[in-house]
Amino acid sequence: MTGRDADGRAVRETVIRALRALAPASGPGFALDVLRRAGIAPERYDTYVREGTAAGALFVAFGRRGVTGAALRHSGLEAAGFEASYRARTGRSAVPTATPLPGLRSALRTGRVGQVPVETGGLGPLERAVLHAVREIPTGELRPIGWVVRQARLPELPVQAVLDVLGRNPVPVLIPCHRVTYDDGTPCDASCPPWAGDRLRAAEGLDMQLLEDFGRRGLRLLGCAVTRVCCHPTCARVRSVPVSLQQSFRTAQEARQAGFLLCPDCRPAAP
Amino acid sequence: MEQKAEHLTDLVARDLDAGFTELVRIHGGAVHSFLHRVCGSRSDADDLGQETFLRAYSALLRYSAQRRRDLRLRAWLMTIAMNVWRNHVRSSHRRPESLLQLDDSDEMCASDRPGPEEFASHADDRRRLIAALAELSEKHRISVVLRHVVGMSYAEVAEVQGCPVGTAKAQVSRAVGELRQLLAAAAVPSRGLSR
Repeated sequence: MTGRDADGRAVRETVIRALRALAPASGPGFALDVLRRAGIAPERYDTYVREGTAAGALFVAFGRRGVTGAALRHSGLEAAGFEASYRARTGRSAVPTATPLPGLRSALRTGRVGQVPVETGGLGPLERAVLHAVREIPTGELRPIGWVVRQARLPELPVQAVLDVLGRNPVPVLIPCHRVTYDDGTPCDASCPPWAGDRLRAAEGLDMQLLEDFGRRGLRLLGCAVTRVCCHPTCARVRSVPVSLQQSFRTAQEARQAGFLLCPDCRPAAP
Repeated sequence: MEQKAEHLTDLVARDLDAGFTELVRIHGGAVHSFLHRVCGSRSDADDLGQETFLRAYSALLRYSAQRRRDLRLRAWLMTIAMNVWRNHVRSSHRRPESLLQLDDSDEMCASDRPGPEEFASHADDRRRLIAALAELSEKHRISVVLRHVVGMSYAEVAEVQGCPVGTAKAQVSRAVGELRQLLAAAAVPSRGLSR
């Protein structure tokens, strides 16, 4: 092969690569317009949007009754992959739309994801109970697995079973599994990569370095010496208490013995 | 892909509305890309793409389940899209729009967006390539877009064009050669695609 032939082939390859790059995605409303114009009943399919979060783009699918699935976009998952995995999981098609579910964008912006309706009809009772408990964790706060099983009224559920359920969370971020930790305060990050969990927690104002130091010292609860109320260390009640008035405990029992009441908001132990 | 196609034809045969929804989801982007690159306009591609799928749906309603199952859906859809575009050209006597009317600025994929200089260079390359595509004959443009933009096999290109596979291969090869020459001729001091 002469140098000239090789050059010619290289240019052809360049032209072919450039042609491949000309395949643009159609606009987000194209498929939806087709289905509407063809008269396909809206109950036969779901729609999805791509919204920004602290951990990058999030695909969010929804039907008439609320959010039905979500996935963070990462190197291995683009829109086509999300559509295919959604279809495999739900047996339904999700087509892109430019119009998000009302309230979705502000919920993602503020972290108050509990206000977005989530459709959990396809889940089993155990999954539903655990994930509903996770949805109750307020923005900017963390809860240990022990708290989740108590809230789910499944106190006997083994840690691994909880992790399995969290790992199958069909709606990460909106069911905020990034706010669940092991009992020592280390994040589980069972439904999203640790880097994504770190970014989501940082965006909610959580200082993980401080919390991990707290956990490493064997401490689990934080109380206010003035109100004599003891909380999870990220609870809104105790977060703003000056360090000089904070009192730390290893167990709820220890706090009770010191004359502290357990916080009625974050419920750090069974009553 | 084979398995996916089989699953889709089966769905289209069993439950037309669910199958059609999947058909639009899976092949909507390819039909739109094909029309965009043969007609040169995104808004025309929107309209022609809608018409393509509506025609496909009407046809599927008439077909028996067995006939639906026997379809090679992607090639079938592209054949409809090609006919819709040809009718459009015939009725409007239009040539593909010139590159000056195109706005490709929204097409850079967010995941691999380059820096400003690289972007300008890519955008310039894209504009020249799109202009060169518009200069090709209809047959060559359709073949090269089906093969290299949509990513169809030569057998599928031949099916859409209604010609032997060897002819489709020759058309694609000639089209790439012509594009190469057009780009070289349009080249300002050699850069990017024109190298």
